[in-house]
Amino acid sequence: MPTVGPKTAARLVFYLLNRPRAEAEALAEAILAVKDRVRLCSRCFSLTEEDPCALCTDVRRDATLMCVVAEAKDIFALERTSAYHGRYHVLGGLISPMDGIGPAQLRVKELIERIASERPSEVIVATNPNAEGEATALYLSRLIAPSGVSVTRLAYGLPIGGDLDYADEITLAKALEGRRTLQ
Amino acid sequence: MILTRLSLSNVRNYAALEFAPAPGLNVLAGANAQGKSNLLEAIALLGTGKSFRTARESEVVTSGMPTAAIAGDAQVGAGMIRLSCTIALGATGTRKRYAVNGRNVRYATYLGKLRVVTFVPAHLQLVAGPPSLRRSLINTALAQESAGYYAALAAYGKHLVQKSALLRGVVESDDALLATYNERLIETGTRLILARRAFVAALDERARAVHQGWVGDADGTLELLYASNVPVEVPTEDAVAAAFTARLRTQRDSESQRGVCLVGPHRDDLEFRLGGRALAAFGSQGQQRTAVLALKVAEYGTLEARGGEAPILLLDDVLSELDRDRQRAFLHGVASVEQAFITTTGDVDVPSAATYRIVAAQLEAAG
Repeated sequence: MPTVGPKTAARLVFYLLNRPRAEAEALAEAILAVKDRVRLCSRCFSLTEEDPCALCTDVRRDATLMCVVAEAKDIFALERTSAYHGRYHVLGGLISPMDGIGPAQLRVKELIERIASERPSEVIVATNPNAEGEATALYLSRLIAPSGVSVTRLAYGLPIGGDLDYADEITLAKALEGRRTLQ
Repeated sequence: MILTRLSLSNVRNYAALEFAPAPGLNVLAGANAQGKSNLLEAIALLGTGKSFRTARESEVVTSGMPTAAIAGDAQVGAGMIRLSCTIALGATGTRKRYAVNGRNVRYATYLGKLRVVTFVPAHLQLVAGPPSLRRSLINTALAQESAGYYAALAAYGKHLVQKSALLRGVVESDDALLATYNERLIETGTRLILARRAFVAALDERARAVHQGWVGDADGTLELLYASNVPVEVPTEDAVAAAFTARLRTQRDSESQRGVCLVGPHRDDLEFRLGGRALAAFGSQGQQRTAVLALKVAEYGTLEARGGEAPILLLDDVLSELDRDRQRAFLHGVASVEQAFITTTGDVDVPSAATYRIVAAQLEAAG
């Protein structure tokens, strides 16, 4: 399991041995429930128990915004900000031909169909700021551009509370490029 | 830049070493297989995070040990700086960590803090050897000089690998995706081309003067030419991007048919000419060696002039490959170095040098 090394695993085992049987059963059931009940939303491909998912059916959410992410876990990160109230679309990864992942292996076709039917006014591409994330974002903007929908990308910049002194040169250069007028 | 302290732990044959190098010339003398080159390699690793001897960095870790650590203090323009580079062997491969003044940083931030120019016997093949050798010399110098160059180079390399996988048909061919990679290659590649062009022009000017000082005009002038895969008349961003785009268009079918990326700075070269003739084809061994020496002196001088401070010069067993005259000429060329390290099995005839004897990974000042 990711992030669980032999030491942590041993600690978990000893912890569980000291707990009542009911607790172990509850944990086992919870793990099974994850496998049995959680599936993909047929609309945005996020993880859900109900299909379509709560994020897709919530009428209070802004249907004119669509945020494209690589993985379902990215939605949780964005939701924690409480700053975004639009819809999502999960690609299921990033384009990387060397790993055998092309647009056909991701939910790109589904995204284009959704944009055609749901007609959002803006698509926000929130992929990681690395080479694959970058290429995927540019590729999507190429595909979406003909539909006339505006495509935006998350900004690059300095971490809040950070220190200019310690920022790496490349991030700082990107932050300079993306500077904004003070209002 | 002056390295004032070097500390090694489990680096090749060094279980532990504390070394306080002198400014100026440091001669590391000793018989073969005692650890002279290992020490030089460690200094290069501390500066560039990379070994000049191997691509398999696990080899640097003393066998049977989990981690190799190299740390050092250096006097640089901005003051004292403390660097450390550790290589840890893990189940999934080697992992390197970099720290500046005790703070962990990314490689892109680390690189360039302590700049080095290395000269190893393999460089004597620079004139006649494969183009990759010459590109790597340019890349190593420029990546140390500019974080932007390193970022562009790294991004270019990643997009190139993806594009070739696409061309080879690893995934379904897709025009929009190919155009996306080309767009990124043009953007990052243009930066590489412009930086290389300016760098080679600076190298050319210096190498020419150094060469003339050594051998006069007997064989004609030494010229270093940037043989770009995307040639342009005027070196502006727009002109390069336009030429790049045009070449990609004309080569498009060949690229798809052959499944290879044919256009871009990954196919650049550096050409040596002497008296107007290609040195690789027409030059004697001696002429080629003299040209390499001139190039190395020029590389050092260019990095010093453009960076505002002298890099550290690392010479691995190069002198023994040269005859007396060339040795003297080269040492004269780098006589004013702020700090240099030279390995040798014999003696180096420089009175001001600090000499250390290395026997079985033990260092001893020999005056």
